[in-house]
Amino acid sequence: MVQQIVFIILALVIAVCSVLAVTSKRVIRAATYLLFVLLATSGLFLMLNYHFLFAVQVMVYAGGIMVLFIMAIFLTHQPGKSVPTKASWKVTSSALLAVAGLLLCGVIIVRNVVCAFRVVTDHEISMHSIGQALLGTEKYQFLLPFEAISLLLLACIIGAIMIARKDKGVKEIEKVENKETENRESWEKSL
Amino acid sequence: MKALIKYITDIFVAIKNLLKGMGVTWKQFWAKKVTMEYPENRDTLVISDRWRSELTMPHDENNEHACTACGICMMNCPNGTISVTSSTVETEDGKKKRVLDAYTWNQGSCTFCNLCVLTCPSKAIAFTNDFEGAVFNKEKLIYRLNQPGSKLREKKKTQ
Amino acid sequence: MNYKQPLELTGLIANLDAFFREHLSPFWASVVEGLLILIAIVALYAVIALALIYVERKITGFFQSRLGPNRLGKYGSIQSIADMIKILIKEIIHINRADRFLFYVAPFFVIGSSLMAFGAIPFGKGLQAVDFKMGVLYLIAVSSIGVLGVLLAGWSSNNKYSMLGAMRSGAQTISYELSAAFSLMTVVVLAGTMQLSEIVESQRYVWNIFNGHIPALVAFVIFLISGHAETNRGPFDLPEAEGELTAGYHTEYSGIQFGYYYLAEYLNMFIVAAIATTVFLGGWMPIQVHGWDGFNQVMWYIPSYVWFFGKTALLIFLSLWVRWTFPRLRIDILLNLEWKVLLPINLFNIVMMVITVLAGWTLTDLFPNLFGLA
Repeated sequence: MVQQIVFIILALVIAVCSVLAVTSKRVIRAATYLLFVLLATSGLFLMLNYHFLFAVQVMVYAGGIMVLFIMAIFLTHQPGKSVPTKASWKVTSSALLAVAGLLLCGVIIVRNVVCAFRVVTDHEISMHSIGQALLGTEKYQFLLPFEAISLLLLACIIGAIMIARKDKGVKEIEKVENKETENRESWEKSL
Repeated sequence: MKALIKYITDIFVAIKNLLKGMGVTWKQFWAKKVTMEYPENRDTLVISDRWRSELTMPHDENNEHACTACGICMMNCPNGTISVTSSTVETEDGKKKRVLDAYTWNQGSCTFCNLCVLTCPSKAIAFTNDFEGAVFNKEKLIYRLNQPGSKLREKKKTQ
Repeated sequence: MNYKQPLELTGLIANLDAFFREHLSPFWASVVEGLLILIAIVALYAVIALALIYVERKITGFFQSRLGPNRLGKYGSIQSIADMIKILIKEIIHINRADRFLFYVAPFFVIGSSLMAFGAIPFGKGLQAVDFKMGVLYLIAVSSIGVLGVLLAGWSSNNKYSMLGAMRSGAQTISYELSAAFSLMTVVVLAGTMQLSEIVESQRYVWNIFNGHIPALVAFVIFLISGHAETNRGPFDLPEAEGELTAGYHTEYSGIQFGYYYLAEYLNMFIVAAIATTVFLGGWMPIQVHGWDGFNQVMWYIPSYVWFFGKTALLIFLSLWVRWTFPRLRIDILLNLEWKVLLPINLFNIVMMVITVLAGWTLTDLFPNLFGLA
């Protein structure tokens, strides 16, 4: 019964805050509602005794991504200004898309919930088994995907650096170098 | 390579310097504390002689002061804290003479600049270092400095 | 070897548990016990905060050749209670044109995160409210929420100083969390577990800081530095920076809302010291030497929570000592320190620790006879 009550509270928080995050007219408030959604999701993991995912959810989403979100929103113009509502067809079409996505996910979850439920065991999973599953090469072990994802992240970081420095860095250095060679040439000519 | 060696030595130099700083504060931690606990140490309290807190007019044993009621202190006071009232009396030998009636000083608006004491031609007033001047209302800050019944000290005719 | 432990609270707790189980249904027994634990933790939180505020002011005074608070009670001992009453009855100031909702929500992030971390700390033998299998990870995770409260507070105050303080705090906390987490992971490599109770248990005869010698010592120092920075104190108090930003992110807060920030700041200092104690200095485990039964018995007479609070107090003193020795860093120096010095050392250090553990160079591996493992 306690589980039921806790679940209903968490589900309500998730549902209400998700809707608020979309409908809120201030960017920073939307981010805060999203934060509540993420925290409530981590609460669900805690309810399932799935502490590893709880900690990772809190650390990565609430402590990492949301902090970066809020920092980025701070850097925009007037983060607290109310954004006017978009044209109505845009709202309806995105609402339809969202409902379609919900239906798709819902069907998948309902179809597979029985086998998913069996995986979630009541006892706490030990750190050792998680570590071995993450960094093993056997069946049901995830070293390869793990490494692939880290490669992807590395590519993202390098790409971001390249995008950030492409405009100024290289061109300006070239400009300076060109100017220097011109100067030298003109100086040599004058001799 | 050189940069790497510098990086590593820098870390150790930094640690050494930080520890040096902590050594200084460690000594401070055990040093004698300079806080004076005021009401308890009233008997042993030493206040500098140069500390100005209360204007007084010294009287001698005959209840005589040196103020001639010239009013220079009143004119020099930047805040107008001093007011000197005087009256003229005729002495025995028929001379007219100015006599001090009341010398009032308002501590509430005094800035303790010492101009009155410096300009006093007869050195009749002085600042003391008695700092416990707190009272419960503003009116009590107005002091009358000349004692009742006091009179001007006669100059001794030495010549 | 079973030692007499006359002052431990384990027996009392077991009796209480048995009492509730006997008189109530299992459901209500667990509800009552949960509430009791909650009350105990919140009360301990408040008491530790009050004690810390007093100790901090006193030690600060000593470092500055003053006496510190010395008027209320003997040696000013009830000064912080008076301060608490003052802060409780102060007016909460409502600010025009501030984002009300975020303004009121922000302090709860800070205090919530520090309470959640506080709840998982093992204070003594049997005195741990929750004992997760991934305890270290949990501590890192929940302590990362606090910065959100600072960011939101800074923004919703609608004040330039608060905003600047919040931005600084965000940059600082994100950076230093990395170092703190890495240095804790170094110890996880050494201990082979993330569960706090197991980490404490594994340090029965030798503390982790000695067991892992050089890498563990480096990790300890880095953890202290980064933990200090994460709590926005000492030479790293740029988010508040009284001189430049009046008070940074909590400029606009008053009354009990400011009290939340104040409380959380002090408790975070305690939590960092407590984590360092638990992970590096043996937690509540008394000092024991294998084979010296008489000595061990004497050590066990001192209850485990006294050991825990004693070790933590030492680290808190160290933190205050650092705070009152060094001048505040500039923001770029601060970030350079993290990204160019602490993080590379940390990454190198964690590799060193893995090598140490795998090659069997830890003290327990080198001298198993000393620690009764042979």
